[in-house]
Amino acid sequence: MIVRQLCVRQSRQLRALPRQSRILARFSSTETTFQTPVQTTFAEPESQSETPSPYIPVPEPVRTEANQNLDKGLARKIQFHSLGSDVVGAYLPKSLLNYPPKAADVTLEMLLANQTHLGHSTSRWNPQNSRYIFGIREGVHIISLDQTAAYLRRAAKIVEEVAYRGGLILFAGTRKGQKRIVVKAAELAQGYHIFERWIPGSLTNGEQILGHCEKKIVNGLDEEVKIWEEELAEYHALKPDLVVCLNPIENVVLLHECGLNNVPTIGIIDTDADPTRVTYPIPANDDSLRAVTLIAGVLGRAGQAGQERRLQEAREGRVTYPWMKSLRVTAEEGDASGVMPSETTTEPARKSRTAREDDD
Amino acid sequence: MAWQSPNGLVHAMHSIRRAAQLRPFLQRSVISASPISSPFTPTGLRQRMSARGFTTELQPVAAPEVDLAEFPVKPARIIPVSAAYFSGSPKFIDHLLRLEALLAKYASLPTVSPSDAPRMAWFKLLQFRDVVGEPVPTKKYKALLKLLQRLNRIDPTVAPEEVRSALGLFLRPGNPFGVKPAPATVDDKGRARGKGKRKASSAVVHLVEGEGEVLVNGKTLNEVFPRLHDRESAVWALRCTSRLDKYNVWATVQGGGVTGQAEAITLAVARALLVHEPALKPILRKAGVITVDARRVERKKPGHVKSRKMPTWVKR
Repeated sequence: MIVRQLCVRQSRQLRALPRQSRILARFSSTETTFQTPVQTTFAEPESQSETPSPYIPVPEPVRTEANQNLDKGLARKIQFHSLGSDVVGAYLPKSLLNYPPKAADVTLEMLLANQTHLGHSTSRWNPQNSRYIFGIREGVHIISLDQTAAYLRRAAKIVEEVAYRGGLILFAGTRKGQKRIVVKAAELAQGYHIFERWIPGSLTNGEQILGHCEKKIVNGLDEEVKIWEEELAEYHALKPDLVVCLNPIENVVLLHECGLNNVPTIGIIDTDADPTRVTYPIPANDDSLRAVTLIAGVLGRAGQAGQERRLQEAREGRVTYPWMKSLRVTAEEGDASGVMPSETTTEPARKSRTAREDDD
Repeated sequence: MAWQSPNGLVHAMHSIRRAAQLRPFLQRSVISASPISSPFTPTGLRQRMSARGFTTELQPVAAPEVDLAEFPVKPARIIPVSAAYFSGSPKFIDHLLRLEALLAKYASLPTVSPSDAPRMAWFKLLQFRDVVGEPVPTKKYKALLKLLQRLNRIDPTVAPEEVRSALGLFLRPGNPFGVKPAPATVDDKGRARGKGKRKASSAVVHLVEGEGEVLVNGKTLNEVFPRLHDRESAVWALRCTSRLDKYNVWATVQGGGVTGQAEAITLAVARALLVHEPALKPILRKAGVITVDARRVERKKPGHVKSRKMPTWVKR
């Protein structure tokens, strides 16, 4: 190769060089001085520069009736479509948003490429996060990616199992630019989203704030069942069974209310956040939209998997969660599985009670 | 197990007989029936039990088959209708997200300028609040209106049905811009009627073809307006189109002062003239006689001497 030939050709001169300078260079430069076994192949630029590139004619745009009214950008795209090179392996924000990876497919390289490792300035750290921190680089804490991956996988498992058990999963990301991320994750996991301000008291004072929002009764297959409509209107406001918070620093009130109501929370914990505020922290960078997109997408995917498993079971006639209790108040005591419409439950129950009395 | 010894067997039988009295109770609870069904029960005992006849009742009965017909009607859980339930205004946010999705989908369609877009009467804020039943803040509704206006600007010839039906949801019932007054016509006696207002005056003018006579409140123009400027401005619409000698003006004017009355007549004459000759509109527009001057006297405010004048500042 060229490198080897160069070494052979120049070896005499190299030997003549003073030895000390190389040793000094080792200390003064940041470059690695030892030779790596990897051989790099060099393209030969001379040959390309000498031969003139062949003339590629710009294709004339086809002038049709339909083409006339096209958007300018689209027309240009069609015109130059056949030219240029194909860019592969580039970061496409839309594809990360729309086709997020599964938790099992998350790699450390992926996390690194999506900037999840970048923490905050060292002066702003919360010492409780020290076990998630890999080191310091240029005055910024670097989050340990193997920790991130492990905690992300755990959180994904939680989301999947809650979705499998028919829980309500709330995705909350109230920072600017997180709207699409939150909505997409909620859509994947068939969960719920908040991308504007969390109204304080939505959990602790739910009747006042969420009282007018509509609820519905569904069967095991998530199809609406129209019964007990008056009782449902008076039914208390719903609470989420799991909250995924993408910016816990700004949502202290939300996390506090979740704590008061025993609602488990998952949160992206940057180096300046308090990890004890959430039940399941994911140590990662919460300031990069790209990192947040990845994490929310992974959790959304996990939720999607859980919902699919739940619906699969439902199609086989099983529900993976306790049946809801009857909303209509009847004289008899609540059955453990008390779900049947009141008309069907009352008759056998009354019979059994009379039979017991007879036996006594 | 107690019943594996002969003495224990007797005890066990007793206990079974006792348990048999509680049959209905046992049938209901699975747990209390379980010792009988345990696989350690000797086969001989089992046969004897079956000979006595209480086995069938005591043996646990397997759960009935899944009734797939019942499954779809059996209520399982309560969930919110909208994915935006926890935001407190789910309907509004659903609308917003739907419109944003539409805009993203059809962003590349050609648009027309806002003045060429079809005129739409969107809900007023209060009406919208009534429709969705949520306390929507003004600022957020304005953002929604911007989205609607952008979608409305899509070229009507290529606008998809999806967009049109989505926009239709936000229109006030009964198209307010569709109701237009019938165009004024000359009546059977050849009169055209026009009304005009200026300052505190209002004028009604009847314009007929004639020799150029002008009567204001039954008097001639000279009697009513001693100033030449007022006389000129009252019939300026006719003068600038050189039709002074072709029409007779019969005006009724009330309220205000001399200038106001004169200029109210100007506007009324111009409007009446347009009924006779609509083609004169560009000339009249240029002459400035069909532009309404909407200025009125500004009210006096407390603490002020006039509408804006403050009392003179006195040191003590």
